[in-house]
Amino acid sequence: MSKEIFAICCVAIVTAVLALTIKRYNSEIALLISIGGAILILFSVIDCILSSVNQVNEILAKSQISSEYIEILLKVLGICFLTEFTCDCTKEAGMDVLTGNISLAGKIIVLMTSLPLFTQVLNTVVSLVSGT
Amino acid sequence: MDVDMIFKIAAIGIIVAILNQLLIRSGREDQALLTTIAGLIVALMMIITQISDLFSTIKTTFGL
Repeated sequence: MSKEIFAICCVAIVTAVLALTIKRYNSEIALLISIGGAILILFSVIDCILSSVNQVNEILAKSQISSEYIEILLKVLGICFLTEFTCDCTKEAGMDVLTGNISLAGKIIVLMTSLPLFTQVLNTVVSLVSGT
Repeated sequence: MDVDMIFKIAAIGIIVAILNQLLIRSGREDQALLTTIAGLIVALMMIITQISDLFSTIKTTFGL
């Protein structure tokens, strides 16, 4: 797994050099090259994420924690992943307004996704307060 | 890892740039613009499939 980082660094350097070379003649294609490199790098990393997610699920199956919390956590992680990727792509294109709006949308959707957890915490607090 | 895609897109960029210069020198600006747009669309179609692959992989990984 740790040998992947060499390949990732090589891909990043090659992509940067290619994009910089093309940028003088054709800046749109340069943007597409850098997005393609980013996708390659993410594809090589996503297998690690998959195995770690499976490990977390195994640990949870052994302990008696309910799986709905970790599901919400994973969803939030995926939303952050997508938002970060898209933010970086639009930042590369020089569209700062889009970058800001996408990160705002990601934050709002993360909040909406994790709202059931907040209500759960609130219910626990209320039950504790009413118990004493 | 499919590094060939990056080289393909770079080759498209170089070819389109050369064609663009040639067509502009020979006084056909409208065809030069069309060539640029065509190259951009070809590269975009290559990237779009990769992006959709990435998004569907993220969807299945995180259970979105």
